[in-house]
Amino acid sequence: MNWLFALYFVLNTAVAVALAPLLMGVVKKVKAWAQGRRGQPLLQPYYNLAKLLRKETVVSSNASWVTRATPYLSISVLIVATLSVPLLFLPGKTSAFGNVILFFYLLALANFFMALTGLDGGSTFGGMGSSREMSLSAILEPLVLLTFLTLAFVFKTFDIFGIVGTTSQAGIFSVDPVLILLGAAFFVIIVAETARLPVDNPETHLELTMVHEAMVLEHSGKHLALMETAHAIKQLLLMALFINIFLPFGFATQPTAASVALSLLSFLAKSIILAAAIGLFESSVAKLRLYRVPGFYAVGTFLVVLTIILEVFR
Amino acid sequence: MIATLAYLALGLLLLPALAPLLAFLKDGRAGRKAFLTAIGIAALLLTALAAYVLYTGTQLLLPLYDLAPGLGLTLLVDRLSAFFILIIAVVAFAVAIYSAGYVEHLKSPVRKNLLIALMSIFVLSMVLVISAKGMVGFLFSWELMSLASFLLVNFEYEKKGTRKAGLYYLAMTQLSTVFLIAATGVIYAQTGSFDLQRVAFSSPFWASLAFLFAFLGFGIKAGIVPFHKWLPYAHPAAPSNISALMSGLMIKVAIYGLVRFLLTVLPPGPVWWGILLLTAGTVSAILGVIYALKEHDLKRLLAYHSIENIGIIVMGLGLFEIFSAAGLHAVALLALGGALFHTLNHALFKSLLFLTSGSVLNATKTMNIERMGGLSARMPGTAALFLIGAVSISALPPFNGFVSELMLFEAFFQAYLLASPYLQMLLVIAFSVFALTSALAAACFVKAYGVVFLGVPRSKEAKEAKEAPRSMLAGPAVLAALCIVLGLFSFQLFAIAGFSFPVPDLLVVGLLLLAVYALTAFALRNVGKRRTCETWSCGYPSAGSVAEYTASGFSEPIIRIFDAIFLPKLTVEREYHDGQKALFKRGTAEMRLMRFFEEYLYDPVARAVEKAAAFVARLQDVDLDLYVAYIFVSALLLIIVARFLI
Amino acid sequence: MIDPVFALDLIKILLVLIVLSAALIITRRDFIALTSLYAAQSFLIVLLSVGLFAIDRNPLLLIIAAITLLSKVVIIPFILTKVQRRLKMKREIEFSHLSPIGAILLAVVAFFFIYALFSGILSGLDKGVLSTVVSLAICLVFMGLIIIFTRKQTITNVIGYLTMENGVLLFSLFVAELSLLIEVLILLDLIMLIVLVALMAFGIDSSIEEFHSQLNVLDRWLGREQR
Repeated sequence: MNWLFALYFVLNTAVAVALAPLLMGVVKKVKAWAQGRRGQPLLQPYYNLAKLLRKETVVSSNASWVTRATPYLSISVLIVATLSVPLLFLPGKTSAFGNVILFFYLLALANFFMALTGLDGGSTFGGMGSSREMSLSAILEPLVLLTFLTLAFVFKTFDIFGIVGTTSQAGIFSVDPVLILLGAAFFVIIVAETARLPVDNPETHLELTMVHEAMVLEHSGKHLALMETAHAIKQLLLMALFINIFLPFGFATQPTAASVALSLLSFLAKSIILAAAIGLFESSVAKLRLYRVPGFYAVGTFLVVLTIILEVFR
Repeated sequence: MIATLAYLALGLLLLPALAPLLAFLKDGRAGRKAFLTAIGIAALLLTALAAYVLYTGTQLLLPLYDLAPGLGLTLLVDRLSAFFILIIAVVAFAVAIYSAGYVEHLKSPVRKNLLIALMSIFVLSMVLVISAKGMVGFLFSWELMSLASFLLVNFEYEKKGTRKAGLYYLAMTQLSTVFLIAATGVIYAQTGSFDLQRVAFSSPFWASLAFLFAFLGFGIKAGIVPFHKWLPYAHPAAPSNISALMSGLMIKVAIYGLVRFLLTVLPPGPVWWGILLLTAGTVSAILGVIYALKEHDLKRLLAYHSIENIGIIVMGLGLFEIFSAAGLHAVALLALGGALFHTLNHALFKSLLFLTSGSVLNATKTMNIERMGGLSARMPGTAALFLIGAVSISALPPFNGFVSELMLFEAFFQAYLLASPYLQMLLVIAFSVFALTSALAAACFVKAYGVVFLGVPRSKEAKEAKEAPRSMLAGPAVLAALCIVLGLFSFQLFAIAGFSFPVPDLLVVGLLLLAVYALTAFALRNVGKRRTCETWSCGYPSAGSVAEYTASGFSEPIIRIFDAIFLPKLTVEREYHDGQKALFKRGTAEMRLMRFFEEYLYDPVARAVEKAAAFVARLQDVDLDLYVAYIFVSALLLIIVARFLI
Repeated sequence: MIDPVFALDLIKILLVLIVLSAALIITRRDFIALTSLYAAQSFLIVLLSVGLFAIDRNPLLLIIAAITLLSKVVIIPFILTKVQRRLKMKREIEFSHLSPIGAILLAVVAFFFIYALFSGILSGLDKGVLSTVVSLAICLVFMGLIIIFTRKQTITNVIGYLTMENGVLLFSLFVAELSLLIEVLILLDLIMLIVLVALMAFGIDSSIEEFHSQLNVLDRWLGREQR
């Protein structure tokens, strides 16, 4: 652990935790605009978190220690996962972070425990949520890993740092414009993993439509605050991966103060634009029936496999 | 010195075979304890021995007994054998501890003693298979293993279904031996020796034939689809400590055989060997997990997961063969390392899961998970141990299952190094199926843990369940600790063993996780009030376990999504009061999942065998004179054939 | 003059987007989305031929672009929308033979084999671009076929047919003799238009089979509608 990595650790985590709720707010705001409402203040997610921390934490009498431990586990898993996604600059090679599989399986670890809490309360909603979440995330998994397999075919590496290192210097489309397909597939992944329309509806508490919300229904107070922060960080990380692989302009290639500051600004701008795009996308589609969601993933898989075929037979 | 230790260990393993004699003693409990201790000590000795051989790389030659000149039962322990002996010893140690508590719940003392005796013979036979120097010793111990396990599967023979499972198992295991004998025959014809050494085949045809026989023989024993049907019958039928041995170890012995053939007996093979292995592994993995998802018998669910994990291991072996054939030795080594590490890991967490589910079975007297629930509060130790196993088998970091699957994923990621685009596409397909498998396994274990241990009890038995006795917690705890240690220290362990696999340093990840967890928990410890309250059910009074989500409900979306595989058949019968079918009287609706392999593979084969048997039966149904005539004809035929052969 | 490398990249991106639109057509069910996707796909082809004109300077390409724009982006979608308004249905209810997921996986398999074939044949001619184009175009034709045989409604069958025809157009933009082609194209489009208009005139509301039965038994459609 040299000083550069320590700096990376601090900056990356701080930026991720600080920005994550903002992006949630941006998406909400854009959706409100698209619906002709004024919408909540941009900083409302922060106020919500502050409010939740002051509120009482109610735990079900049926619940085991899993329910009480999962919020802390989620946030720690997400913070550790943050280290695998360079937001501002690259810290050089490390033995522990940057592995694609490790990153996505850390997310899966958080998901696993979240799904368990859904069953822990013994309510119908929670079980429904975790059943749906695990089913949908299982069929999403091939798409996620295939996307990175394609990147491995293109960049000859399966290390996030390695991929970002190449793209930040050259940009992905200089390698092959066909990779725009991967961008579309990755967008599908972001939408699905962050529980957004048309896969899931983050705004409702209706048993017919909800997936993610049903699992966290039993959480309250500081537990809910932690779960929501973890969810927001997850969204930010996936967006950051998208940005740093497909739109790497402005990413600091050298860890100097000026370029890191520039990198921060450009990341801020790009992530807000991407969040707005997600908001617009959400406003323009309707919720899919649960059993039609695999079709949505299939389009993404189609694109990825198309890219792989084009790459394999070069 | 080392050799003496080895003999001592084997002798100690043989000692409990005397356990049935304990029936002459008054209680025998102390005697059983002593015998189990002997198994435990033998396991520890074998662990030390295996670790020594693994570390130093010396070969250990142990002559046992010569049947005839050249047909010796000689043991040879090299690094590969030592690795598998290590697996067996560690799991056997944990199972021995567990059994101290487990056997005592059996009713008759004869049964208790018999179980221990058979268990020790079973473990001993597995050690012998793995350290056999030649094929004769190998087959002898292999049959010993099959018979011991057959008796163990039939142990609770008075239960419905057990005898069917036993027969099924016996038929399949004998079929596997037939293929192994055929493979031995091919090798003997080529070399004139039964030794398990590199064979110089006269033509690639004979090498491929030997490979095919070995693949079939070991594949049947390992439970590769489509030869898997015996596994979900036999494993749940056996007592739980034996299920742990069978699912954790015995199918690994088959993997050992496959690895032994691939690495040291057969020459480097053509690429289609690898393709065959990869395809078989992929199909087993995905079908195993998909069948597991619909299973609501806890032990059968675990048995299906064994099929899945064997599939993953065989997949790794297939990758090894493919990359070796392409000359990419670094990646091939990574795949082989992943496969072998997964073998170890699966032995650990699958035994752990079988042992803990045995405790659950004892506490609730049922294996149907729809009648469980809320056991986490009643059996906290068992629940925590099961959870560790569940997280490991779901391949979640920082536990051991993750590391081995990660290594296989990384081998897949380097498919771009292969020359043939068709091969690359095959790997892409296998890769995506593997990703799906691993994610579905996580879904299945959310179901298993969630429905069994969380929520509200769904039956009276579950409500009154009691925590298992201490030894039944200590045994699995050893395995659980190893699951964590092998995960966290994987990077360091590989470094010590001298392999530089691109594995992330999970110790750093684990420590960071712990640190952040502790920090957050500490920072928020006094924030907000806390209250315990009934689960929110939309303002209605809680309906208890009736409103709870069931295991069938949990897996329903996946069954719907994969209905092309399950082919669910819905049959609805309705009766009406009137002719216009307006007034509904009564009706039944039944949804049945098709058992594809039984209906389209096993049953037709069984019918064909029956037909052939009916034909043969006609020859049998005659008087004594004709029998003598049969003998005369066959003896004469033999002499005529021999005349032309020699 | 545009930088040729950049232009090639642009063409590749357009091609990929065209295939993406076909993939979406395979999975979507509602007629409005299908029609607009078809219009978008045709518009991409217009852009493509304009892009090719920028490289080739062949005025025929511009003519094709203009005809395509007029017929496939404006007129055909307009007529399709008209027909839809007359129908009581808004979307496809059931699929025949294959679910959309199966259909899309089948499309991938088809693409794999097409691409494997053509990259072998054409790799000597050009650096990958031609084989990409040819196989994507043929893939589009195959996807059109898939749409036709997995759907029951006439409207979606028509869209499948139109997608196939777009594939043919795409193929010919790069490969075949142009002047002859335009004629064929216009002819095909005209046939389509006639069929569509006929559909509208007959007030057909469902599948081809019912269409036939309605033609035979005139009085069944004169009075009341079937569904």
